[in-house]
Amino acid sequence: MTNMNKTASSMTANSATAPNRHESGEIRLVDIAKKFGNTYAVQNINLTIPHGSYCCLLGPSGCGKTTILRMIAGHETPSSGEIYIGDQMVVGKTPVERGTAMMFQSYALFPHLTILDNVAFYLKMRSVGKDERRQKAEEMLRRVQLHHLRDRMPAQLSGGQQQRVALARSLITNPRVLLLDEPLSALDEFLRLKMRGELKSLQNELGITFVHVTHTQPEAIALADMVVVMDTGRIDQADSAKVIFNSPKTPYVARFMGGQNVLTGNVEKASSGTVRIVTAGGATFEAASGEAKATPGQPLSIAVRRDRIKLRRRSADQKSAAVNEISGVVESTEYQGSYVKVTLDLGGDVFVANVSDADYFAEPVDRGDAVTASWLKADVHTLSKVDTGAAGDPYANSSH
Amino acid sequence: MSASPSYGSRPWTFYVLATLFALFVIFLYGPMIGVLILSFQGPSASLVFPLREPSVMWFDELFNPRRTGDVVGAFYRSLPLAAFVMVLTVLISVTAGFAFRRRFKGATAIFYTAIASLIVPGLVLSIGILVTFRYLGLTANWYTSGLGAHLSWALPFGLLIMFAVLGRLNPSYEEAAYDLGATKWKTVKEVVVPIVFPGMIAVALFGFTLSYDEFPRSWLTIGSKNSLPLEIWTMTTNVTSPALYALGTVTTVVSFIVIAIALSSIFLIQRKRS
Repeated sequence: MTNMNKTASSMTANSATAPNRHESGEIRLVDIAKKFGNTYAVQNINLTIPHGSYCCLLGPSGCGKTTILRMIAGHETPSSGEIYIGDQMVVGKTPVERGTAMMFQSYALFPHLTILDNVAFYLKMRSVGKDERRQKAEEMLRRVQLHHLRDRMPAQLSGGQQQRVALARSLITNPRVLLLDEPLSALDEFLRLKMRGELKSLQNELGITFVHVTHTQPEAIALADMVVVMDTGRIDQADSAKVIFNSPKTPYVARFMGGQNVLTGNVEKASSGTVRIVTAGGATFEAASGEAKATPGQPLSIAVRRDRIKLRRRSADQKSAAVNEISGVVESTEYQGSYVKVTLDLGGDVFVANVSDADYFAEPVDRGDAVTASWLKADVHTLSKVDTGAAGDPYANSSH
Repeated sequence: MSASPSYGSRPWTFYVLATLFALFVIFLYGPMIGVLILSFQGPSASLVFPLREPSVMWFDELFNPRRTGDVVGAFYRSLPLAAFVMVLTVLISVTAGFAFRRRFKGATAIFYTAIASLIVPGLVLSIGILVTFRYLGLTANWYTSGLGAHLSWALPFGLLIMFAVLGRLNPSYEEAAYDLGATKWKTVKEVVVPIVFPGMIAVALFGFTLSYDEFPRSWLTIGSKNSLPLEIWTMTTNVTSPALYALGTVTTVVSFIVIAIALSSIFLIQRKRS
């Protein structure tokens, strides 16, 4: 970590002397669509990524997040729409003209070139003299702490080292936007967490825009100033990590981010900032109505965080009538160290409570036990879309 | 009673297959070694074992012919022909390989048309080429009709190898080069060709040996003067001396040298990269 900090500060110094790199790294996508054959990979994409932010594009595989990254990078041309970086329209421009650099998922280090020549490749393409480009590449390698490996071939390096070389090779172009395509997916768990920290501090020090594609929620939450959650070909929500996690707008985001239970019922009453809904099973919930439009008789979905749920045993035939309570049967329990994940069967639907280890072991429940789950009104928030269930939503009823 | 642990002895099939392989190796290299030994036959000029008074006189006979045919001349036709075929096969296979990487209309049809010449019997093709040349009023020659006939044989192999090699080439190498400001031409020169170079050597090796050994497609297309395989065939019908064996030894050695150069350069490149 400290290595990369040193690294980064000297890189900033370097980029300050480079010409034409003072421009803003703000990325603006306007009405972007991309068609492959007759199907849209992405559609109606409008997104502004502020200059100098760490943005994560998050979504399941096939949602179009990599397509968006590749369009920003210039490796894919949008079928329609405009892409701006700073105040420059970049559609049709080369990556170097855009001031972007991309780090590929497989790193794509040239296997026939030494580490040094890999890093110096950009300078070679710009016809920088051999001595000068080697010297600059050596500086860059020294900054990523790989100078001692400069004469090795890529195949002789570990995954983590290869990734640092790929970073050095991208950063030598002095980009204002760095694009990372699942940069951590090829690493083992330990290295992944280490490199995650290094990427974040590198971005802090460089102050340029990072756009990072991932399908891992914790990675996005840990890194990003801005999380963009994608469904099939469209953006569901773009917000800060805290907002995305605590106040998902749609059932899809709530489920995809994990940590939330989605419940749906019909609005019975909406008054003085409180909305009351009743489920098909007869349970009654109350929530602050928030932004959601609540018309009596209309369906409404709410989300409750898994770690705000209290569980208590009940006798099997007893149904709960209290507000913000729901009855179910324990389907499984999974010990997670600091908490226990208890999955309930609500008669078809799945409901998850993350009970702190202290509370759980004070009153343990087991598979088959009848329990009642309860929560506070303050821990509920309403969703702007009604949950349509499993249809078209692969994350419905999954308890990942 | 406890069963003793088994650490996996070899099954009987291992011995059967090992014997089969040994027989195969003997069948493959035995005659070649026999020819090699008998090419050092003495002045008794016996064509069969045993070897008496070993000498190199039949090699001398080969290069200073008194009774044998024009072996040296044939060699000086076969060698440049094989070299031409090699260079053209590499050039055409590599460029065609690039073309086929991007799917274009009719790609499959063109591919099968190119590959089909592998199935056409060589002797028939040879006759066809000669007839066509006659019809057009052209003279068959090793560097015209002969070259074309050999390419019809070597090119499909070269294409197949290049397709396999380029098919495994990760497109992100080219994208990375583009990302780092390389032009299309620079990408080919600095990234793609160096990466697929071992494959290009393999194509070159095939091009050379397929041409150098080719008999059926040379038969009528080579012109009035023989290539080496045709010369050897002629000799088997009218030369009855161990010079024939000496010729066998020399041509085999040339082939082995070419293969050794190709394989060792591939090996050196691979070792440098890992």
